[in-house]
Amino acid sequence: MYALIIDDSRAMRSILRRIVTDLGFETLEAADGQQALDHLNEGRVPTLCLIDWNMPVMDGYTFITNVRANPEWRDITLMMVTTESEHGQIVRALAAGAHEYVIKPFTPDAIADKLELLGLVAKAVPA
Amino acid sequence: MSSLELVAPSLTDVEMVAAEVWSSFLGDEEPLLIGPPAELTVGWSAAVSVSGEWQGMISVELSAEMADQVTRRMLCLDDGPLPDEDVADAVGELVNMIGGGVKSLMPGPSALSLPVVAAGRVARPSDVTEVCRFDAQWAGSPLVISVHIQSPKI
Amino acid sequence: MTISQSSFAFVSDLVRRETAMLYDPGKEYLVEARLLPLAREAGCADVDSYVAKLQTDHGERAKVLDALTINETSWFRDNAPYQAFTDVMLPEMIEARAHVRHISIWSAACSSGQEAYSLAMLLDQHLPSGWTAQILATDVSPKMLARVDAGRYSQVEMNRGLPATSLVRYFTRAGSEWEVSDDLKKMVRTQPLNLSTPFPLLPTFDIVFIRNVLIYFDMEMKRDILRKVHQVISPDGFMLLGSSETTLDMDDHWGREAHGRVQIHRPAGKPTTNTPPAAAAAWQPTTTALTGA
Repeated sequence: MYALIIDDSRAMRSILRRIVTDLGFETLEAADGQQALDHLNEGRVPTLCLIDWNMPVMDGYTFITNVRANPEWRDITLMMVTTESEHGQIVRALAAGAHEYVIKPFTPDAIADKLELLGLVAKAVPA
Repeated sequence: MSSLELVAPSLTDVEMVAAEVWSSFLGDEEPLLIGPPAELTVGWSAAVSVSGEWQGMISVELSAEMADQVTRRMLCLDDGPLPDEDVADAVGELVNMIGGGVKSLMPGPSALSLPVVAAGRVARPSDVTEVCRFDAQWAGSPLVISVHIQSPKI
Repeated sequence: MTISQSSFAFVSDLVRRETAMLYDPGKEYLVEARLLPLAREAGCADVDSYVAKLQTDHGERAKVLDALTINETSWFRDNAPYQAFTDVMLPEMIEARAHVRHISIWSAACSSGQEAYSLAMLLDQHLPSGWTAQILATDVSPKMLARVDAGRYSQVEMNRGLPATSLVRYFTRAGSEWEVSDDLKKMVRTQPLNLSTPFPLLPTFDIVFIRNVLIYFDMEMKRDILRKVHQVISPDGFMLLGSSETTLDMDDHWGREAHGRVQIHRPAGKPTTNTPPAAAAAWQPTTTALTGA
């Protein structure tokens, strides 16, 4: 199972990579939506994408609309991870086809919670 | 539009935004606290600007030692040499998230710039006014988070 | 003024037993920092004399546990109990209460109210039209109850366990926080209540959530609380404890039904059944927004 981490911040990619690797994913990275699309177009289709909103070249919102326009990529889970926290922005992202939305700042638990909601990880049974 | 009307985030809101960023990425054990204003030798600083319906600049200033600690914690790096670019990335990301939080408090729509990071103090334009200043403390050392806007023209 | 080895050992042992949280040697400064304000409030000269008090004072023990546990506040905490609520408890109650079309729920030791509002969200999604529900949220802390009434949560709290679709449906921004909708607030009523003292006059509840609070009490008090809860729950009602808690060794006035890994407690006497009831005529089961655990 692999996750594609899409964020123009190297620090953020590093943080997310660590979190999802701990949750059992292999990872690939992209610094913008276009690089991410290149991965998909070149046959590296992930199970999960973690997508920042504001990026140069192609932003996260546009990336999502591109993915959802392609029926071959229908099964990819799309989760936004972004500082954009206005109600209207979240509604827009969900309407465009994002499955989940994490507002920065977040904790590793927050990512794990969302992935559990999406059925991508099984949380350990609480003691 | 009154040029004397300053739309600015409250100190409480900025404190809350900063505290959440800190506890999410730097842990709960050493929370970000309100500190006494202290002498700060700025080792690293970073700023983002917001433009659109509200215009302003959010900045963070840290000592070199704190920047080092923050970077190692955020990026889970061990002791050993720390490249400048790692510190720049970490400090830039901190101000990006604090800036994003402040942006969401202010009238929109607006856009967040990429962070500007400096090993030293980020120079501020001469025509800005500080509207909010959070003198904070982390792990016993001081740091400053501030919000500036364009000075009102009288 | 530093905490003594024996005081630290006592406290870390207490916390580990009651909450499974570990405070290993090296964390003395943290324990001291968190206990000092409590010690001062209790009128003790220092942390060591405060810790001596903990030997007998259960009220102070509870405060210590609170101060030393990083509170895992989350929406739909542990998920499975809420799934059981939607799959088992609610459908059965909808059938059983068809004549009054009202469901009464108690969220005991509600803390900041995420449990109460999580239940309110599920009720909003699954209660048939024409039905009402009331959730009583109680806590010993007036500060917590004020938080529940305000219904405001930080960005970080909003990230924990809440589907994004529910976030946009039930919350709006309020400064740096998010505030729950009036529709949900109308379903939740707050009241101060100390579980360890005689209960005030309470309605009869169909469903009781009393999760992760009995751990703060000794065996005798746990039994006393369960006895009191038994008096205010319907004979066909449901009680849910924390994921690791059970009435097994505490009280034989409760039967247990398993639903997956969730233990649902019923007042003893009612015949238990693991088969879901037939759907009531006016209601069709709908899929929930949550995936099964």
